[in-house]
Amino acid sequence: MTFSDEKPTMIEFKDVQKYYGDYHALRGITATIKAGEFFSLLGPSGCGKTTLLRTIAGFEGISSGAVLIDGKSMAEVPANLRPTNMVFQSYAIFPHLTVEQNVGFGLRKDPRSAEEKQKAVDEALGMVGLKGYGKRAAHALSGGQRQRVALARALILKPKVLLLDEPLSALDKKIREQMQMELIKLQREVGITFVLVTHDQEEALVMSDRIAVMFEGEIAQLADPETLYRKPANRKVAEFIGTMNFLPATIVAEDAGKITVDAEGFGRIAIDATQVSRANPGDGPSVGFRPETLTLLFDGQTASDQESNATVSEVVYYGDMTYYDVKLAGSDTPLRLSMRNTPGRPVLDIGAPTRVAWSAGAMVLFR
Amino acid sequence: MAAYSLFDRVRRSEAASGVALISPTALYAILLLAAPLATVLIYSVMTDGPSVGVVWQLNFDNYAKVWTEPIYRAVMLRSLLVSFAVTAVTVILAYPVAYFVSFNVPASKKSLWLFLITIPFWTSYVIRVFIWKGIILGYNGVINQVLMGIGLTSEPLQAINYNVGAIIITLAHAYAPFAILPIFVSLEKIDRSLLEAGLDLGENRFLTFLRVTLPLSMAGVIAAVMIVFIPTVGDYVTPTLIGGGKVNMIANQIQVEMLKQHRMALGSAIAVSAMLIVCVICLVFLFLNRRFLGAQK
Repeated sequence: MTFSDEKPTMIEFKDVQKYYGDYHALRGITATIKAGEFFSLLGPSGCGKTTLLRTIAGFEGISSGAVLIDGKSMAEVPANLRPTNMVFQSYAIFPHLTVEQNVGFGLRKDPRSAEEKQKAVDEALGMVGLKGYGKRAAHALSGGQRQRVALARALILKPKVLLLDEPLSALDKKIREQMQMELIKLQREVGITFVLVTHDQEEALVMSDRIAVMFEGEIAQLADPETLYRKPANRKVAEFIGTMNFLPATIVAEDAGKITVDAEGFGRIAIDATQVSRANPGDGPSVGFRPETLTLLFDGQTASDQESNATVSEVVYYGDMTYYDVKLAGSDTPLRLSMRNTPGRPVLDIGAPTRVAWSAGAMVLFR
Repeated sequence: MAAYSLFDRVRRSEAASGVALISPTALYAILLLAAPLATVLIYSVMTDGPSVGVVWQLNFDNYAKVWTEPIYRAVMLRSLLVSFAVTAVTVILAYPVAYFVSFNVPASKKSLWLFLITIPFWTSYVIRVFIWKGIILGYNGVINQVLMGIGLTSEPLQAINYNVGAIIITLAHAYAPFAILPIFVSLEKIDRSLLEAGLDLGENRFLTFLRVTLPLSMAGVIAAVMIVFIPTVGDYVTPTLIGGGKVNMIANQIQVEMLKQHRMALGSAIAVSAMLIVCVICLVFLFLNRRFLGAQK
């Protein structure tokens, strides 16, 4: 999951600003994307992630700042001369061409002979699992197949960077998950830098080496998936990535390395100073933790760290998992937790008294 | 549930309601299109009588005459050349206009632009022809006035009026909106991300146009070609007024045969021959296009 820092830089954003008239779409983006990395731009719609991707491709100019690819400024380089290729959200498959004409579209200036180009096209089609589809008309393909043609068409040109603009959003869930796996494998195989735009946090977590979470034209946090999940930089990121429980808290004492808070229902908790993130402006302090870090204790089980009394307030059964909402004694905030449905483990009813195990190590203080 | 009577079933069937819906149009088409066409076809294989009207005697001499006598061939050829020229000029000039409106005009202003393009239609075609003839191309027209005013010529040019060039200019102007609109529609339908894909795959704007935009707008170009070519071959008014009766096209020839010489059968044979030629040219054009466009639906 972690990504080596030694790899060279492929893309560099230096204080990139973008205005559409009065609208400030990109507000000082500074970031680097490493060579060979699977990098995701994640955020809600309108956060500027697609605009940022399009500044790499050259479809969108920037108002100030600089975009560098492989050390070279792209300021004067038009889209058709950039070492990037894109998989469009709509796939942009040319409807008047066959599958192989689509895949070979960018090879016109390639000095290789027609036979060698044909071989390259066949190889590219094989790589994306469309062997033998070359002669088909592009308009006769399914969504998933179009996606593969778009991939083959971009990868055949061996770009330094492959840009993917929400490529999976139009596919249904099964095919989407399958394509996620295939994309990861493909990226490892070809070693090209992939930059993916997505609004789906799960997709970003599954696929990426590193993720930039964007809100309102700014990067809120740039980190590997595990850091994003375990220690979000602020409450907005925490709420956007997965589910997090929040309990209001008051800070009781602060000393070197530890902050002691009084959290509703839990009482006194000593949180490590490294586990502190920013609260939303104007909000008081709160502690946050993920559903899987809170565990129900069944009869005879004891907590390895801390335990509290609670009452079940909601049960959602998913087959492999059951999601519970519980309320701690002395608190009215429902806390989401997830339990694996191992054989013999009962599913509790609403209103059942129970005990939960927790650990201060899994908590983040937002202040 | 009692079974419907046969009459009820027919009355309620979709086919019956379909027939009812198209019947006014169908009636119109039969009376004013099919019937005259059939008449012309029948006339064309009859014999011209000594006076007005045909003698009901089967005879293919008319066709032999039309296809062998140089006068008919010359007029037909001129009609086709004028039509080809008008079609080429109109479509080539219409494409950039349609392209500009589709790609460069903001979405909110497109209807306004289309509206402006149709302004010539607010004036009757005959009046527009007279404007071209008298005011612009005429002996004392704007062009001659300007040429003499700046001292390029000392007396009015005759060459710009009463000739094929003048007919082509007038027709090309008249048919411009008919060519612009279908091309515009086909350009509007092109997914703009396809053009970005063309750039992204390494082609510059011009080559992207040639490899993506142009093939994808061919349907509109074909429609424009047909819409301009077919009616201009048979145009009657423009050669009469602009050509001043000196440069006849096929419709003028048919009029002369039918109404002046009272040779209805021969006139009909010319008409049928002209229709066949136009038909064959259109089919060849469509076939060639399909070959060039290859896989396109």
